[in-house]
Amino acid sequence: MSEPVIRVENVTQRFRLIQERPDTVRELFSKTFRNRSSYHDFEAVKNVSFEVPSGQTLALIGRNGSGKSTMLKIIAGVYRPTTGTVTVNGSLAPLIELGAGFHHELTGRENILLNGLLMGYSKREMLERQQDIIDFADIGEFIDSPVKQYSSGMYMRLAFSVAIEVDPQILVVDEILGVGDIGFQEKCFERIRRFRAAGKTILLVTHDMKTVEEHCDRALLLDHGNLIADGPAEETVAMYKTMMIPEAVGAH
Amino acid sequence: MFVVLAGAGSFANTAAWRKFLMTQLIRDTYRYRELIWALALKELKIRYKRSVLGFLWALLNPAFMMLVLTLVFSTIMRFPIPHYAIFLLSVLLPWTFFSQSLSYAVESIVTNGDLIKKVAVPKLVFPMAALVSNIINLLLSLIPLAILVPLLRHPFYWTWIYLPVPLLALAIFTLGMVFFFAAANVYYRDVSHILQVLLSAWFYVTPIIYPLDMLPARYRWILKMNPIIYVINGFRLAVYYGQLPKAPSIIASFVCAFISLFIGYSLFRKYQNNFVFYV
Repeated sequence: MSEPVIRVENVTQRFRLIQERPDTVRELFSKTFRNRSSYHDFEAVKNVSFEVPSGQTLALIGRNGSGKSTMLKIIAGVYRPTTGTVTVNGSLAPLIELGAGFHHELTGRENILLNGLLMGYSKREMLERQQDIIDFADIGEFIDSPVKQYSSGMYMRLAFSVAIEVDPQILVVDEILGVGDIGFQEKCFERIRRFRAAGKTILLVTHDMKTVEEHCDRALLLDHGNLIADGPAEETVAMYKTMMIPEAVGAH
Repeated sequence: MFVVLAGAGSFANTAAWRKFLMTQLIRDTYRYRELIWALALKELKIRYKRSVLGFLWALLNPAFMMLVLTLVFSTIMRFPIPHYAIFLLSVLLPWTFFSQSLSYAVESIVTNGDLIKKVAVPKLVFPMAALVSNIINLLLSLIPLAILVPLLRHPFYWTWIYLPVPLLALAIFTLGMVFFFAAANVYYRDVSHILQVLLSAWFYVTPIIYPLDMLPARYRWILKMNPIIYVINGFRLAVYYGQLPKAPSIIASFVCAFISLFIGYSLFRKYQNNFVFYV
């Protein structure tokens, strides 16, 4: 519980937003001549620093568009930050969008292998774990059918199983814990608990404050890309709730 | 001897060596070989999925194309070139590989955009996979050609065994172009349309349907500016003429191939970390 497995230092992520893409040639011409700069820069994450010690379960909370998912993607290596550095020690499995690497025409079994390779595992490792993944997903004979024939629940179950059964040291989860029926959800949380018991690190983005309070040691509160609170899960959640009250009242 | 080895060892460990572009390309290709292969097979699988004959189409397609071309050129349109079908196919097959690889790969980053935005995946695997799946197609299409040659009573030359050499040059040349166009298309989607125009013009300025010496000698230098000539020349010589290319021509083909790879890959590598913001 000492050596940090994730170290985020002064990370800023800037996006260039294109505004009003011209749809027709005529529009293109009129836009080009009137106003040349049709984009503006937007900072999704502003100078954020934190460390995650090994074995901690950490939640990122905040309203929509506060930069939580961007932060996760930077840690998962999807974005290279505009400035600042991110250091990750250990294998990391991103559950950012379930089934991102799935191809509809391929069978569940074929997708397990492809998805694993995309996450950086070897073919041998994936074949060794194949049976565990199939058992955890528990979708019966559908495993040998193309995934386009799956129900959305089955699709999620398989995708979740691939990510969780590859046994990473760090698990990065983005708002996907509520997939499947109640039975499968319970199985997922059970797996998260085992994961924590095994001393592994979890990074979680969710809007479900009950999950945060129940499963997380610590929570970070992001607002407009700024890190505004960092502390024990209950305290940060309480702060987030007080922050949101005026808005909820104002909406009425 | 020992000193030399130690020297080479320390050179291999220096940052300069690791930064060398081609070393990185070879290292990354090796590291992600399983993924590249799986993606290439996926592409082929999907192309032939739900067809009764399945993978057999990879053989039947070129076979039927050859059959049609042979019939057309031996009965309807007659050229003063003996066994014109073999003359044509010996270069048309590598050209088809080249143009198909480019057409597939130019979109490879954009169509995998969703994936790139969600998983930290090495970008080079997508154009690589497009190339590999087309290499498989090219190799398969050589089988019906090998059957057609004796059928048309064209001699089956021993120079066929030389084919791996122009194949290698062609693959390297194509890979460079594939990297270039796949990267450029991320920033300007017009590139994939321009590519189609470029390819159809390029087809006619390359001696594929006509022999190189058809042009008057004083204009031939224009054709010699076209790099792909050197790369695919070896195919026609080996299959149709039963000759081996001369050393300068072989060297020129590899020089062109590596220039293409160097330009294409250095651009791709320079911009690959920004792809995620534009797809």
